[in-house]
Amino acid sequence: MVTNTHLNIEAVSKSFGPVTALTQIDLKIERGSFVCLLGPSGCGKTTLLRIIAGFEKPTKGRLLLDGADISDIPPHKRGFGMVFQSLALFPHMSVAQNIAYGLKLRKASAKEQRERVEELLTVIELPDIADRAVSALSGGQRQRVAIARALAIKPKLFLLDEPLSALDAKLRDNMQIELRRLQQKFGVTTVLVTHDQTEAMMLADELVVLDHGKVQQAATPTSVYRQPANSLVADFIGAANLVRTRVGENGRLVLFGNTVEMAVDHDPGTAVNVAVRAENISLRSAQADQEAAGRVVFARDLGAFKEWLVSFEDQEIRVRGSASDEIEFQVGDLVTLTVDPARISVFAAS
Amino acid sequence: MSTELLPRKQALLFAAPAFIAILPFLAACFFILRFSLSSEQGTIEGLSIQAYRDLMTPFFGRSVWLTLKLAFVATLIVMVLAVPLAFVMTSLRSSFFRRLLTISILLPLILNLLVQAYGWILLLGPSGVLNSTLKAMGIIERPLFLLFNETGVLLGLVQTSLPLAVFPIVGAVRAISPEYLEAASSLGAGHWRTFRDVTVPLLRPGLVGAASIVFAFNASAFAIPLLLGGRRVQMMGLVIRDMISPLFNWSGAAAAGMILIALTIFVLAASSWLVRLTTTTKETR
Repeated sequence: MVTNTHLNIEAVSKSFGPVTALTQIDLKIERGSFVCLLGPSGCGKTTLLRIIAGFEKPTKGRLLLDGADISDIPPHKRGFGMVFQSLALFPHMSVAQNIAYGLKLRKASAKEQRERVEELLTVIELPDIADRAVSALSGGQRQRVAIARALAIKPKLFLLDEPLSALDAKLRDNMQIELRRLQQKFGVTTVLVTHDQTEAMMLADELVVLDHGKVQQAATPTSVYRQPANSLVADFIGAANLVRTRVGENGRLVLFGNTVEMAVDHDPGTAVNVAVRAENISLRSAQADQEAAGRVVFARDLGAFKEWLVSFEDQEIRVRGSASDEIEFQVGDLVTLTVDPARISVFAAS
Repeated sequence: MSTELLPRKQALLFAAPAFIAILPFLAACFFILRFSLSSEQGTIEGLSIQAYRDLMTPFFGRSVWLTLKLAFVATLIVMVLAVPLAFVMTSLRSSFFRRLLTISILLPLILNLLVQAYGWILLLGPSGVLNSTLKAMGIIERPLFLLFNETGVLLGLVQTSLPLAVFPIVGAVRAISPEYLEAASSLGAGHWRTFRDVTVPLLRPGLVGAASIVFAFNASAFAIPLLLGGRRVQMMGLVIRDMISPLFNWSGAAAAGMILIALTIFVLAASSWLVRLTTTTKETR
């Protein structure tokens, strides 16, 4: 079998005293791929990145880089470029000195250093800031310099710990595009930690959803979005509704009072959770005497789309419709909810 | 947009008592300056630099040199001791040991200087614990003279000024984000290199601040050279006192005091200027 695995994380566990941060993490990271570790805060994603970087030692398991065990190699000998959440640009060095620092440690000549700094400043489209103090830069400029500093050493792995979380929405969007462009240009294997699922979907070739210290799903963004592996993933990715319901006596799923024409792998009568996205539910006006109707309890028009909260039985369901929809639903309207069976995922209720 | 901790007007109001407390001190300084320019030794009369001229003696010169030397050496020793101590303090995880260490370092600040000096005399004096033990063990025949000389004064200065250095350095060490160190490490710097290239430069303002406090404190020391120097170590504080007390040379004492203040300010200004010079040359174009 031809393997293109660059980093192989084998059965890595980590505990801090009595607290377990990671349990049995197995991951293969492809050469040149962009992997996003995604999860809510406290899920262990940053710990995993710090283990890859070498700042934390795994309690169990090992890391293989191109097949060689690097678990015991200290961070300064791993040759991985890292961008920190705080960026950690050295305040006592100029922009050029920051970018050249890794090269200086590698005993590159002054000429090599200067050329590489120039090259990187051109790539990040800030050619004139070499001599500036870090404190004189804007947030977006600092971001780019931190990325340039990490890439200057031609790292074997490029690691980023929520680097964009401090930027405002517009700048963040630009930086995501920029980051992806840089990563493709240098072809460097990249691992980025984020809690922002839009960011992860936008950047990643492979999305690794972590929760409770375990890998819940590792797949392409599209398949994580379309086929979440379990209800934790479904709940975390996108504006999904997790609807408590049951499998009918005929083995068919009962959803919003209607039988859905799809086969399910659960016994008749069992309780299940159904993940269904807000945009995959459609609303129709219902008559006052109609059974299986919900009531609109909240309506808002967000310009790009409209959103409603529908109270159905004892649950509130979020529904999203496109802005071009002719129909207007007001708070208090009775509605029926229908779904496309191809767009739902069914999980055993825990 | 910006919300101040305390609006300036209120802050000024609350600070008024402090200003009132500082005023007499400033007045005293001015009074001493005026006295140093008096043509009489015992009263303020006329305007003359006679008092300064009278100080231009080999004796006073030796005292100035000794004061600067001892203050400088003590500061150097204190900094060498305080930096590792500060790192230990910031790395202690157990709050019990951290408090214990804090109290042990802080104790000299709380304890009266006399008590500390007598402690040293009991320990290291001619008939102190150390000498009697060594004598009893037959290692020495005559007591070692560890006190009432420069060594004794140096010992005292280091001991009393150590806490003044440790706490500002602890603050400076705490202020360094670990991400800076990790960033250096990820770029390929080992522990030692990170310390040299990142930790020390980031600590530098804190180190200079601490060293300045220690130097000023030691240069103006009086009780320690008096008690542990046994009059043989004529630091300026002692010389100034002797001019006043047995000699009633008020204008001479005032002039010597002004020289001490001027020298201290000069050394501190020069050191902070040097630091600014070495840290900003590469950032500005």
